[in-house]
Amino acid sequence: MNQPLFPAPDVKPGQTPPRYEGRAKVTGEARYPSDVRLPRTAHAYLHTSRIGRGTIRSFDLAAARAVPGVIDILTHETIGDDPRHMPAIYQGGYISDSVRPLGSADIVYWGQPVAMVVAETFEAAREAARRIVVAYAPHPTLAADIRSADAVTQAVEPMTIDTGDFAAAYAAAPVRVDAGYTTPAQHQNPMELFATQCAWEGDRLTVHEPSQYVNNVRFGLAEQLGIDPGRIRVVSPYVGGAFGAKGFLTQRTALVAIAARRLGRPVKLVATREQGFTVSGYRAETRHRVQLAADRDGRLLALRQEGWELTSRADAVAMGAASMTARLYACPNISVRINTVAADRSTPGFMRAPGEMPYGFALETALDELAVALDMDPVELRRVNDTQTEPVAGLPYTSRSLMRCFDDAAARFGWKDRSREAGSMRDGDWLVGWGCATAFYPTYAGNSAARVRLSADGRVHVSSAGHELGQGMYTMMAQVAAEELGVPFDQVTASLGDTDLPPAIVAGGSSSTASVAPAIMAACEAIRRRLGVEGGSPAEVMPALQASGMWVVEEFAEVRAHGLPAESMASLYRGRATPAGGVHLADRVQFALGAQFVEVRIHARTREIRVPRAVGAFAAGRIINPRTAHGQLIGGMIWGISSAIHERSEIDHRNGSYINANLAEYLLPVNADIVDVEAMMVAEEDHQVNRAGVKGVGEIGVVGVAAAISNAVFHATGRRLRDLPIRLEDLM
Amino acid sequence: MAEENDHEVRIHESRRRFLIGSALAGAAPLLPGDAGAQADRSTPVPEAAGPAGIALQVNGRTHRLEMDARTTLLDALREHIGLTGAKKGCDHGQCGACTVLVDGRRELSCLTLAVSVGEREVTTIEGLAEPGGDLHPMQQAFIDRDAFQCGYCTPGQILSAIGCVREGHAATPEAIREYMSGNICRCAAYPNIVAAVMQARDQVEGG
Repeated sequence: MNQPLFPAPDVKPGQTPPRYEGRAKVTGEARYPSDVRLPRTAHAYLHTSRIGRGTIRSFDLAAARAVPGVIDILTHETIGDDPRHMPAIYQGGYISDSVRPLGSADIVYWGQPVAMVVAETFEAAREAARRIVVAYAPHPTLAADIRSADAVTQAVEPMTIDTGDFAAAYAAAPVRVDAGYTTPAQHQNPMELFATQCAWEGDRLTVHEPSQYVNNVRFGLAEQLGIDPGRIRVVSPYVGGAFGAKGFLTQRTALVAIAARRLGRPVKLVATREQGFTVSGYRAETRHRVQLAADRDGRLLALRQEGWELTSRADAVAMGAASMTARLYACPNISVRINTVAADRSTPGFMRAPGEMPYGFALETALDELAVALDMDPVELRRVNDTQTEPVAGLPYTSRSLMRCFDDAAARFGWKDRSREAGSMRDGDWLVGWGCATAFYPTYAGNSAARVRLSADGRVHVSSAGHELGQGMYTMMAQVAAEELGVPFDQVTASLGDTDLPPAIVAGGSSSTASVAPAIMAACEAIRRRLGVEGGSPAEVMPALQASGMWVVEEFAEVRAHGLPAESMASLYRGRATPAGGVHLADRVQFALGAQFVEVRIHARTREIRVPRAVGAFAAGRIINPRTAHGQLIGGMIWGISSAIHERSEIDHRNGSYINANLAEYLLPVNADIVDVEAMMVAEEDHQVNRAGVKGVGEIGVVGVAAAISNAVFHATGRRLRDLPIRLEDLM
Repeated sequence: MAEENDHEVRIHESRRRFLIGSALAGAAPLLPGDAGAQADRSTPVPEAAGPAGIALQVNGRTHRLEMDARTTLLDALREHIGLTGAKKGCDHGQCGACTVLVDGRRELSCLTLAVSVGEREVTTIEGLAEPGGDLHPMQQAFIDRDAFQCGYCTPGQILSAIGCVREGHAATPEAIREYMSGNICRCAAYPNIVAAVMQARDQVEGG
């Protein structure tokens, strides 16, 4: 086995601290929200709908109420006026979907909460929830997925792109590819379940809930309950994985808050793994049609991508990432169309590389098909079409090191030894294929604030309501403060994940470090200014403080991200900080880029598919901590492998339910599935993206792997598979 | 931390259905989730059964508990004793986040009824190192090799890794990958977990 690589382009040897919270996580001392124990806690358990569309005719709660220990059962008939209706985040609300919890007798998706039992113990609550009997009147028709005849397709007009004349250029081109691709519904399935604990003290509410955006939960919940947001505190110091699933307020939180208020005691809900499939959003299934045309040297003449994305009838959600794939390569004639397909399902949402994974899979597989049609090396096809200017509006990339990524990863992988012909690299019983693809992820940042306190004894405390999802937020915060103030890393303490702290952006869009590091840097600069050493070296800070006679200097700073208007700063203090960047800027485009190479082995007789080797190289601006960045990148690449050959949420067409809503049948990679995964970091400096020069690495590792695998499967077998996941039955 | 809380949760109810109830509770996780249970009155539901008084030996201490007989070892540790290092990731024995050592062997505490543990000694992640004291070599190896990200599966991974070494399944990376495959890491730190087990395997007692 190769040792993990920790190339450190920007960090000197010895300056790569281990994780700040490492000891807490290996000893069990890290308290995740469901670990918090509050006196007199009552336990809640959800009962969710067993139909996908229709109405509730009646409840029979007698058996449930008779269970010893049951205290309360909330249904739409008993809950009262709260919570108030709120539009989904996509339509200006705070919440992941607009279906009001226990709001009416209407059922609009399978798994919709229809009752919540509260009891003295978890065991009693579970028993009672299972004893609830609901009589339903199912609707006669139901659209279960994106292929259903009863689903409603609608164009998303604002996402349309037309540059040049696609139709004419495509018709006249000598080499063309026209193909359809699909990706399945997938669920984030963080290891930590969707837990919520609510405790009232008088009119003040504390919420313990794993969250990627504590201030979103706070302000959204305040609006749902009609109370002052200042009375709500949301605490989330550790999050047991999120991947988009914990990005925004979900319907469960208000139910727990209301139950706790009714009972006058804390209430704890831990939704089951199965319920988690509809508690929050998920990656919607998608369809794509990609048309590419090129001259005989491989230069793109025309590119068109049309996407269809599943959404709910309640809320229109589209990731629309063809806005990105259309800008990756030089091409004079471009057309993009995006559609939503509304069905009887819960509202989809964000899942790690939400649009980039499916849209990137389609485009990067189509490019491989083009390379085959041209009899051209797929790396060279990318090189011929490389550009420093995006082709839609002619805006410059702030920095773009795509071909350095391809060259470094190709060298490490040994790509020059590939024989181009499909099926030509057989090794005994194994058909061997090598494939590659581009990885891309837009560079976002949002408004954020931080507070830094420096004491004359050399201790530093840094705080910001960012979030520790496993990406290394504590470590990053402590490391940046240590570097800026010239103190050792182990003298710094960090606080995050708490609405009492200076607000930060949602921990999403790979934007946490790009958003919060600049705020910490600005606070440290303010400290240096107070001490009269502004512009000096960090080593001057402590002597200046000791000479000043002060014991503590503390500064607060808020930073506005590039591309956001001045009035946007107010939204930071209302739980509505949104990231800016990527393809949404007037003056430039911002992307991290990378190259993915994989080896696929398919057994000649059983058709078992293995991915024994993956090499990725990524250029993402400054890497603050190569250790945590490496973990994010290999984790992302393994997510990519999983998206290609493992994961699919299987939908029952009778009721829109997920048949495999558990961790045994929802296939995730286990240790034995993963052999050699290597992530390289290509040095890149970008002084434009943000003050920290950071592009973010949380999601880019996922992107492109599925295409690289489908391309490798073609190389191994000569069969082009355009539907994910690729399973052995597809290769029979 | 625990003794004052030992009796905070009780069901003031007595039924003579202990055996039926506990048997059903034990079988329930093998059913496909909650599927069908609510739509059909005839589906068996685990019956209330308790209270059951038991003494659990955890990390060298005895905890006397009175609780619903259906309580899993995982919930007994987390909700009754306050040892929250063991994590609930599925409650169905599918993910490994709840792994503890029982008499030195790894077991899934979510599939183990607390009343079934008897006098056997339970070791949780909190039992590997004193607060502020030296870490177990496997804990240190997980830090050194960055074998986690979010940390939620980590206590289960570490205890499973110790079990894996003691079983003699840590001789090669291939064996480690195979015998650590009962513990899902959604952050996918798998290569680093293998490296951590390789680092610590020669320092694990009984390995």
